[in-house]
Amino acid sequence: MLFNSIEFLIFFPIVTLLFYLLPHKFRWLLLLAASCFFYMWFIPKYILILLITILIDYSAGILIYKWKDQPKKKKSCLIISIISTCAVLFIFKYLNFCSANLVALAQHFGWAHPQQVLNIALPIGLSFHTFQSLSYVIEVYRGHQKAERHFGYYALYVMFYPQLVTGPIERPQNLLTQLHREKKLQYDNIANGLRLILFGLFLKMVVADNLGAYVDQIYEDPHAFSSADILLGMVFYSFQIYGDFFGYSSIALGCALAMGFTLIDNFKTPYLSDSIQEFWRRWHISLSTWFRDYLYIPLGGNRVSIPRWALNTLIVFTVCGIWHGANWTFMIWGFAYGVLLCLERPLRSIHIFDRISSKSGKNILKGLNILKTFIIVTFLWSVFRAPSFDSLHQLYSALYHNFTLPMQLQVSTIVWVALVFFVLLDILIRQSRFDQWCSQKTGLVRWGIYALMIFAIIVFSSVQQYPFIYFQF
Amino acid sequence: MKENTKNTLRKAGLKLLLLIALLAALDVLYYFTFYPKDLEEHCSLMELSQKPVPEGDDIVYLGESSNHAYSEADTDRRPISMMLDSLLPAHKVGNLGKAACHASIYYDVLRNIPRQNNIKVAVVTVNMRSFSSEWIYSKLEIALRKEQLMMKKAPALYKRMLMVFKAYPHWTEEERDELVLNQLKKQKFNIPDFPYHNASEWDHAIGKSGMLFNGTYPSSDTIILTCHHIKHFAYQLDEDNPRIKDFDNIAKLCQKRDWQLILNIVADNMDQIEALVGPELSWLMNQNAQYIIERYEAQGAIVVNNLNEVRDEDFFERDFPTEHYTQNGRLTIARNIAEAIGKLVN
Repeated sequence: MLFNSIEFLIFFPIVTLLFYLLPHKFRWLLLLAASCFFYMWFIPKYILILLITILIDYSAGILIYKWKDQPKKKKSCLIISIISTCAVLFIFKYLNFCSANLVALAQHFGWAHPQQVLNIALPIGLSFHTFQSLSYVIEVYRGHQKAERHFGYYALYVMFYPQLVTGPIERPQNLLTQLHREKKLQYDNIANGLRLILFGLFLKMVVADNLGAYVDQIYEDPHAFSSADILLGMVFYSFQIYGDFFGYSSIALGCALAMGFTLIDNFKTPYLSDSIQEFWRRWHISLSTWFRDYLYIPLGGNRVSIPRWALNTLIVFTVCGIWHGANWTFMIWGFAYGVLLCLERPLRSIHIFDRISSKSGKNILKGLNILKTFIIVTFLWSVFRAPSFDSLHQLYSALYHNFTLPMQLQVSTIVWVALVFFVLLDILIRQSRFDQWCSQKTGLVRWGIYALMIFAIIVFSSVQQYPFIYFQF
Repeated sequence: MKENTKNTLRKAGLKLLLLIALLAALDVLYYFTFYPKDLEEHCSLMELSQKPVPEGDDIVYLGESSNHAYSEADTDRRPISMMLDSLLPAHKVGNLGKAACHASIYYDVLRNIPRQNNIKVAVVTVNMRSFSSEWIYSKLEIALRKEQLMMKKAPALYKRMLMVFKAYPHWTEEERDELVLNQLKKQKFNIPDFPYHNASEWDHAIGKSGMLFNGTYPSSDTIILTCHHIKHFAYQLDEDNPRIKDFDNIAKLCQKRDWQLILNIVADNMDQIEALVGPELSWLMNQNAQYIIERYEAQGAIVVNNLNEVRDEDFFERDFPTEHYTQNGRLTIARNIAEAIGKLVN
């Protein structure tokens, strides 16, 4: 079920109302049933795949906990669990990609190798719930989390509908613990939850989807546009993907909060970052912290020699790229971030900030750094957005050759207004979150913002169907 | 109930009332600002059905592209509705059609006609392709369904909300293919002494063998055309078909408004169908036409069966099943409808 659909507008209030009407001991059942319904709205049979992952990691968690004093058995169980969970992800997400590359490699050497194509669609949100499931077994292994014996609660931890398909990727210490705790009906939770949902819908439907129409035009046929159009399209994509994903995360947080659950904040004004390192601390936080805790630190983190650290960084970001999709473009996108981070570290050691004494000088430098980071991120988004290297080549070739062409993209005033409003709002809420920022305003200002957003969502949203970008991962 | 819960409910109730008032105000604002532009952009049908029926028009003609499509070679390019108007000098025929329309849209258009009118007869086109899953799940259908939302009798802001939250049937290209395939398998038919029982089996057999029913092996383009005919016409009509439900609604509406309903089953290229697919498909199509005749004559409608009335040379598109006729074809259909109306008046 899509958050921006009429079905969800009916589903959400019913589930929330029933949640508060039911006694605590039955609430897990309601949420689990609602989550199954929510997921099965897409392709019903894929719930079986989810069930396999749940069964594997539920059993693994219990066994690991049981063998907590037997390191060898515990470790074997963890390895089996990780391999099995990742195998499901591999089959559905990477098998065709690997097979196609093997065929290409075989052809290169003149060998015959038949291509094995699995003709199935990728189950929605598979990468997200695989990672959430893995974080559970790893935390149990590390002794940070008790094994969950109640199958229903564990299944709900993986399937909790607000964050089931596109995250935030939760940790058991946060979500599983909250699922057990009784929730009381609180006005502030409902009000803040609804504010986040409104904000999320605005970002997705008014900002991201309207920008998407222009971005699609540019990427479909870049040679028909001037270099200025292409650059504008690339900037628009930066805001489209931000609005789209931040919008989804805000709605997810809002739905959970309306029932009293607090999920991880996934974004903290990432485009105001003054370095790539900072960008990754503010963008898709639940994923970057997942990689930090379960891959980067186990590899040695930064407490190793500089070459080893650089290698660790490259590995983490390349894997992060592959996590997004089975395509070389994603891998290069991730690898490029790894390289940039490796380059940034020696630059940071110059301490250029300390050499400037005036406050305004520091502000100017910070502003320039923010701009530099945004430009790098925007260019790398083009690698992420392009379906293949060929289309990426087309885009850059048009960007290089079409300097003399006049601008053709007719951007409507509504889109500019929505974009400026989004940027301003993003700056205003940088220290908090939209719901918290809103609750500090007077009633009149608050309701003025609601009116504006509701009107914009209904009247200025795109009438075209644009699925959430991160659904494909 | 605890004091805290009571307070929460009281606060929430007040905010809900405030929200309703806000939405009402926004509805007024929308109605006078962006709504007219939205209607123009997203609902040409609304304009069609809300324009006052000209005084003196006593017959309305509702049709899709079969009404107005013409061949470049035609010297008379009038649509069927205008030809009908000429053939019935004592009457005035108004046209309320649009390309790719079907019964569900006709129903909304008819329903939106203001109560003050002179209409006596409603001529509604029955396109046999419109019952097929290929049409029911077509891309054009999504656009039409969107337009239908805007035609609802409801507050403007509410209708716009339904549109942006996609409260209409919609599907991606992959979903559409799956829906069509499932439906082709599901819609069974019973042709005596015939090996296939649904369009999917039939289409698959022809497509795979590359051989026509008469044992010849034509070009791949001809095989594709043959398969198109099968996918568009090989079904057995019953009351579960969504279009049948729409025609039922039209029949009821016409009875309520005291309009004589004339259903015009438009011609398909039966010569081409017989030559490519064989006599079984034309038999099935005629069975379906018979089903429509029996069902709607029992509900007071007059059914003009033009299915077999236009010959191959009077279809000007031959690489896809269409109901696009030359001037002779359009005139034949207009004459048959005029004859039925003539009998009615006499």
